[in-house]
Amino acid sequence: MKRSVQFIGLITLYISIGLSSCKKYLTEIPNNAVPSTGAISDAGTARAAIIGAYDGLQNYYASAYPTLGTITADNVVFNGTLSQYLQLDQNAIPTDNVTTVAAYQGIYSTINTANSVIALVPAVNDPLLADEEKNKILGEAYFIRALGYFDLARGWGGVQLQLQPTTDLSALKGVKRSTQDATYDQVLADLVQAEQLLPEDAKTRNRAQKSTARALRARLHLYRKQWADAENYATQVISNSKYTLVKPYASFFTSPFLSNESVLELTFSANDKNSFWNLWYPSSFGGQYTLKPSQGVIDKLNNPSVGGTRNALIAGSGNAVYGVLYNTYATSTDPSYLIRIAELYLIRAEARAQQNNLDGALEDLNTIRQRADVPKSTATTKDQLLQAIEEENSVEFAFEAHRWFDLVRTERAGAVLGLTNKNFWLFPIPYQDILSDPDVTQNPGY
Amino acid sequence: MKHFLKRSAVTALCLLLQYVVAAQSTVTGKVLGENNQPLENATIQVKGTRKVSLSSTDGSFRVQAGAEEKKLLISYTGYETQEVSLVGDGLISVTLKRDTRQLEDVIITGYSTQSRKFIAGSIVSVSGNSIKDIPAAGFNQLLQGKAAGVQVTSNSGVPGGGITFRVRGNNSINASVDPLYVIDGVFVSNTDPVQTSIGNQQQSNPLADINPNDIESIQILKDANATAIYGSLGANGVILVTTKRGRLNSNAKIGLNAYHGWSTAAKKFKVTNGPETATLANEAAYNTGIDGGQDPSTIVLPFPRPDTLKTYDRISDLFRTGNTSNYELSAQGGTEKSTYYVGLGYLKQQSIVRPSDFERYAGRFNYDNYLSSKLKVGTSINITRTWRNVSSNDNNPQGVINSAIFVRSYLPVYNANGSYAKYGSFDNHLALINNLNNNAVGWRTIGNFYGEYSILPELKLRTSWSIDRSDEYENNYASTLISAGVATNGSAASYQTRNQVLTNEQVLTYIKSFGSNRKHSINALIGNTINTVLAESTTATGTGFPSNNFTAISSAATRSGSSSRAEAKLVSFFGKASYTYDNKYSIDGSVRADGSSKFGVNKRWGYFPSGGITWRASQEDFIRNLNLFDELKLRGSVGLSGNQNGIGSYAAQGLWSAGANYLDNPGDAPSQLSNPDLTWETTRQVDLGIEFAVLKNRLNVIVDYYNKYTYDLLLNVPVPLRSGFASYLQNYGAVRNKGVEVTLHSENFRGKDFRWTTDFNIAFNNNKIEKLASDIALGASGRNISILRQGFAVNSFQLYKQLYVDPKTGNAVYEDVDKSGTITSADRQIVGNALPRYTGGFNNNLSYKNFDLGFFFYFQQGNKIMNMNDFFLVHGGTQRNIGFVPRQLERWQKAGDITDIPRLTTYSGDPTINGGSANNYGGNVASLSSRYLEDGSFIRLRTVTLSYTIPPAALQRLKITNLRLYVQASNLFTITKYKGLDPEVSSQSANQNTAGYDWATVPQPRTIQAGINLNF
Repeated sequence: MKRSVQFIGLITLYISIGLSSCKKYLTEIPNNAVPSTGAISDAGTARAAIIGAYDGLQNYYASAYPTLGTITADNVVFNGTLSQYLQLDQNAIPTDNVTTVAAYQGIYSTINTANSVIALVPAVNDPLLADEEKNKILGEAYFIRALGYFDLARGWGGVQLQLQPTTDLSALKGVKRSTQDATYDQVLADLVQAEQLLPEDAKTRNRAQKSTARALRARLHLYRKQWADAENYATQVISNSKYTLVKPYASFFTSPFLSNESVLELTFSANDKNSFWNLWYPSSFGGQYTLKPSQGVIDKLNNPSVGGTRNALIAGSGNAVYGVLYNTYATSTDPSYLIRIAELYLIRAEARAQQNNLDGALEDLNTIRQRADVPKSTATTKDQLLQAIEEENSVEFAFEAHRWFDLVRTERAGAVLGLTNKNFWLFPIPYQDILSDPDVTQNPGY
Repeated sequence: MKHFLKRSAVTALCLLLQYVVAAQSTVTGKVLGENNQPLENATIQVKGTRKVSLSSTDGSFRVQAGAEEKKLLISYTGYETQEVSLVGDGLISVTLKRDTRQLEDVIITGYSTQSRKFIAGSIVSVSGNSIKDIPAAGFNQLLQGKAAGVQVTSNSGVPGGGITFRVRGNNSINASVDPLYVIDGVFVSNTDPVQTSIGNQQQSNPLADINPNDIESIQILKDANATAIYGSLGANGVILVTTKRGRLNSNAKIGLNAYHGWSTAAKKFKVTNGPETATLANEAAYNTGIDGGQDPSTIVLPFPRPDTLKTYDRISDLFRTGNTSNYELSAQGGTEKSTYYVGLGYLKQQSIVRPSDFERYAGRFNYDNYLSSKLKVGTSINITRTWRNVSSNDNNPQGVINSAIFVRSYLPVYNANGSYAKYGSFDNHLALINNLNNNAVGWRTIGNFYGEYSILPELKLRTSWSIDRSDEYENNYASTLISAGVATNGSAASYQTRNQVLTNEQVLTYIKSFGSNRKHSINALIGNTINTVLAESTTATGTGFPSNNFTAISSAATRSGSSSRAEAKLVSFFGKASYTYDNKYSIDGSVRADGSSKFGVNKRWGYFPSGGITWRASQEDFIRNLNLFDELKLRGSVGLSGNQNGIGSYAAQGLWSAGANYLDNPGDAPSQLSNPDLTWETTRQVDLGIEFAVLKNRLNVIVDYYNKYTYDLLLNVPVPLRSGFASYLQNYGAVRNKGVEVTLHSENFRGKDFRWTTDFNIAFNNNKIEKLASDIALGASGRNISILRQGFAVNSFQLYKQLYVDPKTGNAVYEDVDKSGTITSADRQIVGNALPRYTGGFNNNLSYKNFDLGFFFYFQQGNKIMNMNDFFLVHGGTQRNIGFVPRQLERWQKAGDITDIPRLTTYSGDPTINGGSANNYGGNVASLSSRYLEDGSFIRLRTVTLSYTIPPAALQRLKITNLRLYVQASNLFTITKYKGLDPEVSSQSANQNTAGYDWATVPQPRTIQAGINLNF
């Protein structure tokens, strides 16, 4: 008995020693992540954070967003088996459509990273992070946030504006959806900041620069029908000698990419792949062939007086024509094309036409047509010009995230696509948010 | 190792009060049990006195007896007490007889062994014998229908594939719902190590690494009283596996088992033939034209002459007769001081759907040695090598089954030039079957070393050091002939995955009986464990190969790699005590404290107490006088257990994760919100049970009622996406499981030559989410068919409820839940769930002379299956690249047709109109119609076995002690209303909340086997 008492004593001692060293013993940290507190604290982490924000852009621009801008309209039709694409093609989009949810989530996730940079980088005190670089990083974050809200506003309408990084969910409460106008106002505010802070050099095309901010601003003014501003900012970008229309047309989407055409493209690489080609190519190439050029766009592209050299966007024949804008099927390194200088010409053309500067509009339109070896436009009246610009946009950006958003902003989706119910000109707010967010309201019709 | 609660059916006195009087003599002797095994810790009492002694390891004892004391009472748990006269002063040798009544069983409980009579918890024992020789790799899979309250379902018919195993329902939503497996005291990992994706299904059953033939017995601890000692690991039940060990002083026993089985599919996939497919496509095109307001005469049909189309059979290529071979060799025995068991096993099993295979080599070595009468050391080591040829299916369009059933049947398998033809998103099934090169080789070591020291006869210390280490090495090569490799000129991936569990534990046990007539018995223990779980993996990929003869990543043009590591620690202290009074009343209690590295700094520690009482009413005179019950026991227990499994190792920390790179610069981004208050998910369980035996012990009945309430759920609460996050792990929500379990064992006939026993069990479970922040919808690749909603069971299906197909228009009409007059997402509703209302097993054994006939049924009722094959292949023409299944032929064609399959059309007009053609297969409903949800109830003849044991007399000359020959059929027939291939299916099992999908899955095989069991 005595021995057992001794023994119990020993065990008690053992346990108490154990308990005191437990706290340290039970602390585990990961080796591929850092705590949120202090995630941006010096030059290295500030740089990593802005890279992370670009990665967010890559995530939603690699395939989700360009899909939303194409298959929904008339240039691209569904040819696959995955029903989320069928739903988009039919413009009958359930609230849990995988692609709209992925884009919506990806955009807000990118915005959250940008918000973190905007909130935390100014306080970083590191001699290795000179003010110049700090401003650059901040400018990029403002630009990325602007682009995020712009992409939300044109897809879903006015959205809830989150301008602080999320560290605590209680801070989310009470934020209602803004109007589309107010959302665009936020985009503008961020672009103003970005333009001020961003640098400009003669070669960067895959990170934001002053001109990139101006280009997006031109597009924003166009969407808001602020024609003079649209023209003004488009001109500022066009007059930058860094950007030229490349010839032949196909050279901007031919490796090694980053052509002079590009105002902003997101670069991918062997270790950072973009396999969007997979949705475009037939299975004989290993693709899924879900996104197929429509007969209409094939006819246009093959017509020398409409498509010209832009027929390089398609390959194959007969019933098996496929789009080759994204074509690195062996390496999956296609960039995402966000802004090309060609767009700025067409923005200015439209803005000029709207301001009744028909000659100026025609000149810009013909610049684009000329590059594609297409004869000059015969449009003479304002309406003809606007129609010709719409057509030109459709062909020039056949497989980029343009056609759907153009038809919606010009309110032509009903006439062109037969989609007369305007409710369906906006995508649905994800089902999950309707369930989890008391502050959100669904778009009508869903 | 074994701390036996001493039998209190004899009278005794406290050892402390024992004093030695003069005029005594020392009596010595030995206690033996079955097969003349020495019995340790048997109680030797001098009758009519307080003098008591315990036998030592070799069964020997020594007791003082006065001159006038004439008799000894020898007792031992699980044996009948024997009275021995003291005649002369020679060595007394006593052989005890095994007590055969069921309620006298000794069972292993958490950290101790107890007599079933006094256990307040709900524990099921399954003997190793009843699960051997069934052609399935995992022992846990073999428990199907064997234990009430344990639901076991194979997710697919792939050998060694994943299974669903639930003890008393789903306790959790985001934390694990799998039980804790403890094999010979080792906490084993049940983490699926296979990384090669096979769709959205759990790739493998990690417990297929254990050879079922090595198993002596399995105990399933179900209620809180039994599991609380495992604290944070026990909330989902605990499966204790004891493997075979040798016996002291026994001759070597060599066993040889072998069988061969032939498996086929009971039912195969069916698709429409070429002309039917074309007819349906034409009809869809015509109807679409009409709906779009086109002039009927201008509609161009895609197939002007459907009858001219050929039909290419792909499905026959999928199936084969799968062979299963199994060989096992074992040896066991022991000397005076040591025991050994050695087992070797080989299993090779082919899937009935090409090209999956499974192969296992297993070796086991169990050894115990008594270094002295007080110190015992031993080891259990299991080493297994498994090999799988992993084949993708389920929701992967480039899986083998998808490539065969989805492609339209009029399309040729080969191109004109003889190459494999591929269509749409699908691969060519033959290209896959012939070129799939996905090798997964696993090495699993489960080892345990222990030492056990008897400080006093009643006080014992055991220390145990264990490792469970699994290494999975996968090498996959996608050749240029299959879609996955064509674009990149071949692509290869290699995964090295390691899961390691280290456990150290110390247990101090005290067992004692005292008082007049030994009315008081105490069984107590305290202990601690330290548990470390490490998961590591390294991945390398390569693309661009010179030719298909090069398959190593080193020969690839482009190579990249990645790695991951996660470690979690758990420190625990526990204690348990039980007290029995007069063989009638028992009370016990336990408590465990757990500290986990996974939780927030504020709330790392959890405390899990439990208590139970038992009343053996049959010991009371008023019950005895009824002359009805041979045994009657009532028990009740209540307790808490915790859960921390299934959440990430760093789940409580706010993190920015690396890998968010751009321009080949390293980047990071917010990945997880911090929750410093994250803590244990806790299950409170009440269990009431009654056990009785009547008709001279020929009918044994156990009935249990339980009510489990799990609160502070570890829940990935969906958060507004505008936060930048999709979900936040927090302690929120509650789930309740309550139910009744009935187990019957009946000896229907017990004659000299003929015996017939029946076992029956049934368990009802009712699951309900009691509290949830908001609905969580998920499943089916973003289609959100599964939903978690407060007030409903987990695994509920959320669809548009199809009321009927309008006989006039042929359009589907759905229930307009919100009465808005339109069909929107607000009209989705819960239309059933994947959980069975009850499950059970029914087993009969008949033996006549040397023949034995056994047949075993498994049944489950009330679960629904989402038939995704129909969902995709009854698409009404909307999918130009996908064929049809015959169910599509039942579509509405003309006014007056009564059917549930609406008119074919791809018109998408206004998608909100109820009864409009857009919602037949598209629109807002998007085919998420209840018409694809089916009843998944079934009853299945799991096994039927006929065996013949050759009379020992005939074998004596060959020195064979036992020879048994048998034939067995598995899954011979299934009665079900389910129209898919097999109702036992769960294709989306990678997530526990998406149960009950049937999606291009291998059905359960029907197997005929012949085998032999031989013992020397």
